[in-house]
Amino acid sequence: MQIILKALRANLVLGAVSAFTVLLFGGWSGGVMGWLLGTATGYLKTQDQFVPNPQVGARIGAVNGLALGIWTAIANLAYGLILRPLIGQSSVPLGQSLLYAIVSIVLATASATLMGAIQGLANPRHKQATWFTLAFILLIFPFVDQIAKTGWIATVIQIQIFAMLALGLNIPVGYAGLLDLGYAAFFAIGAYTTGMLSSPHLGIEWNFWIVIWIAAAVAAIAGIILGAPTLPLRGDYLAIVTLGFGEIVPIVFRNLTEIKIVEPISSLVATILNKPELAICLVGCDQPFNLTNGEAGINPIGRPSLPIIGTFSSTNYLPWYYLVLFLVLFSMFMINRLRNSRLGRAWTAIREDELAASAMGINRVNVKLLAFAMGATFSGFAGAFYGSYITAIFPSVFDFSVSVIILCMVILGGLGNMTGVLLGCIIIMAADRLYLPQLAQVLKGLLNTTILPNVANPALRDFLAISFDPIQMRLFLFGLVLVVMMIVRPEGLVPNERRKAELHSENSVANESLADVRSA
Amino acid sequence: MLELIDVSTYYGNIQALKGISLHVEAGEVVTLIGSNGAGKSTTLRTIQGLLRPRQGRILFEGRDLQTVPTEEIVRLGIAQSPEGRMIFPRMTVLENLEMGAFQRRDKPAVIKADMDQVFDRFPRLRERMTQKGGTLSGGEQQMLAIGRALMARPRLLLLDEPSMGLAPMLVSQIFSIIQEISAEGMTILLVEQNARMALTVANRGYVLQTGEIVLAGDAKDLQVNETVRKAYLGEE
Ligand SMILES: Nc1ncnc2c1ncn2[C@@H]1O[C@H](COP(=O)(O)OP(=O)(O)OP(=O)(O)O)[C@@H](O)[C@H]1O
Ligand SMILES: [Mg+2]
Repeated sequence: MQIILKALRANLVLGAVSAFTVLLFGGWSGGVMGWLLGTATGYLKTQDQFVPNPQVGARIGAVNGLALGIWTAIANLAYGLILRPLIGQSSVPLGQSLLYAIVSIVLATASATLMGAIQGLANPRHKQATWFTLAFILLIFPFVDQIAKTGWIATVIQIQIFAMLALGLNIPVGYAGLLDLGYAAFFAIGAYTTGMLSSPHLGIEWNFWIVIWIAAAVAAIAGIILGAPTLPLRGDYLAIVTLGFGEIVPIVFRNLTEIKIVEPISSLVATILNKPELAICLVGCDQPFNLTNGEAGINPIGRPSLPIIGTFSSTNYLPWYYLVLFLVLFSMFMINRLRNSRLGRAWTAIREDELAASAMGINRVNVKLLAFAMGATFSGFAGAFYGSYITAIFPSVFDFSVSVIILCMVILGGLGNMTGVLLGCIIIMAADRLYLPQLAQVLKGLLNTTILPNVANPALRDFLAISFDPIQMRLFLFGLVLVVMMIVRPEGLVPNERRKAELHSENSVANESLADVRSA
Repeated sequence: MLELIDVSTYYGNIQALKGISLHVEAGEVVTLIGSNGAGKSTTLRTIQGLLRPRQGRILFEGRDLQTVPTEEIVRLGIAQSPEGRMIFPRMTVLENLEMGAFQRRDKPAVIKADMDQVFDRFPRLRERMTQKGGTLSGGEQQMLAIGRALMARPRLLLLDEPSMGLAPMLVSQIFSIIQEISAEGMTILLVEQNARMALTVANRGYVLQTGEIVLAGDAKDLQVNETVRKAYLGEE
């Protein structure tokens, strides 16, 4: 009993997340949460202590999983029996609610036990088994989502698109220390390249598997073009230039609708001689050339196709899910390789001390350019996938707020740390795309059925009806989280060791005498 | 080995070096002394190609360095321990040393062996292998900066004020290390404000004043030179 109480307290945060999810989504969401977060708690709670063998690990996992399950089960009952009537829906019968609750407990306990036991395996084996379990979860998630009828897969695909972007932005910002405030521009360039090369709009309909590479290459080149003149600038100026670039690119795409290019010399001659027929027209002569279709965007964009599966359809999420999962894993693999390469060490060095780095023979301009280009490459992949997944692109999807949100993911999770960045991405995207809209619905139901009928004053009623929309408060909530974060934990959720030192240090330097430096 | 011919370097419109000429022969320790702002660090930066001279030529083993990029100059064998040490504060001692070997194409085992040599020379660094550079004491940081430069396996070592900010006791330690390195055959160009110590370890010396070389000669002669004694050795 004592142990369970302690575990309940230790699992307060995960339990709250799980319970909150159940209160919003109801149904089998508790089971899914138990499965996912149970695995998480089984892993986390066995990290800060020595686990000699699988039995001990399993016991630790079981206790924590049970605690998590209990929180979830309470939420299941509260949702079915109390909350549902309050938001104007029929309550879930007691038996059904109990079934949801029990399933939550069982799944949470089972997955935490399994994960805990794995952590007790011998050294290389436990790492492999952990990865294997994670891979398994990612692989079967779409099916679980279907069976449990949670309907989260579309959001999960969105999360993965942004995961690629956040990982990419982490290269210049986290690794090389170059603040890029216009990262969405490269995302836009990748998406528009895909749009132009595989859509009936321009009559070019190339295969997605080729276009995605072209999109990445074009984005990388854009990174170099932006970087070349600006990277010799110091940090603050660089931030401003990238900010400007991020603003310009969507505007350019919005306005490339009536292109007519006349060869300049002949045009000059024509003006001087006052004979317009002398001007040699190069592009858009009969009718101005419409490259991007302005605000209406490019639509439809070609979808990828594979043997056996055929062309990916818009109603079946499965192929999209696995494709984007592959792209994310591929990005992680490549970025990890880069990070540990010579180039990766050069990035760290120029972030630490540019002058010293160049005295070591590091060409700082090239190294920074490569950081920009590499970061842009991954947003090019993301853009290509995004374009063909949505099958339409508009300039307004790539505005400044997208750059800021990606930057928030990187900072929230922990600059320069891949796990942290992924976590930051999951948290922000899930909150933004999944929880907030659902919370809005639940609150609306609550207001309409329970609160508003009991408020007599019409002015107050109007006020309540308008002001309780969390979607309206989205940016405010983001800002709030960031501010709190910067005060409480400036190094991010999963900090990079170096960054942590940077922000918390001022350790007094031990000034020892050099006399014993040599004799020691 | 190294020859500067009539080199002038500018920061924007400010001329920091006004046509200096000097040479360093293989195996020598040559010191460049002068007061604050004389242009000593500028000279070293110009040699490494971090700054480009507007006039004059720099020859390293007969090769003109005019158009050679810094990374190539480092690879040719010119390494620097910069002024103010400039170690990477949040990299460990080990990682700092690795950065010193950045331009080398050698196998990891070869680099590892060189690192062991540096650790043999500075045993204190071995103890602090995994400590962050920024948390080392001033003296240890100086050792690290010199060790890092040695990791490039240079043929010419540029040392910029290795005694800066160290207590007298540590200063003499550093200078004996410099002598040791020189005795093993390294060619060294040593920039110092501590003229007395510099002239005792050096074979030859140059005196730099507001971007011009005003005196040159054997270290022994400079030690007894009237002007040097007044201006740089603080004697009457
Ligand atoms: N980055 C810079 N921009 C402009 N002027 C500079 C720069 N660096 C140095 N200077 C100027 O060039 C001149 C020579 O500087 P330098 O650093 O070479 O002197 P120094 O002999 O090394 O002096 P110290 O002994 O104080 O280190 C000085 O007048 C200095 O103000
Ligand atoms: Mg100097």
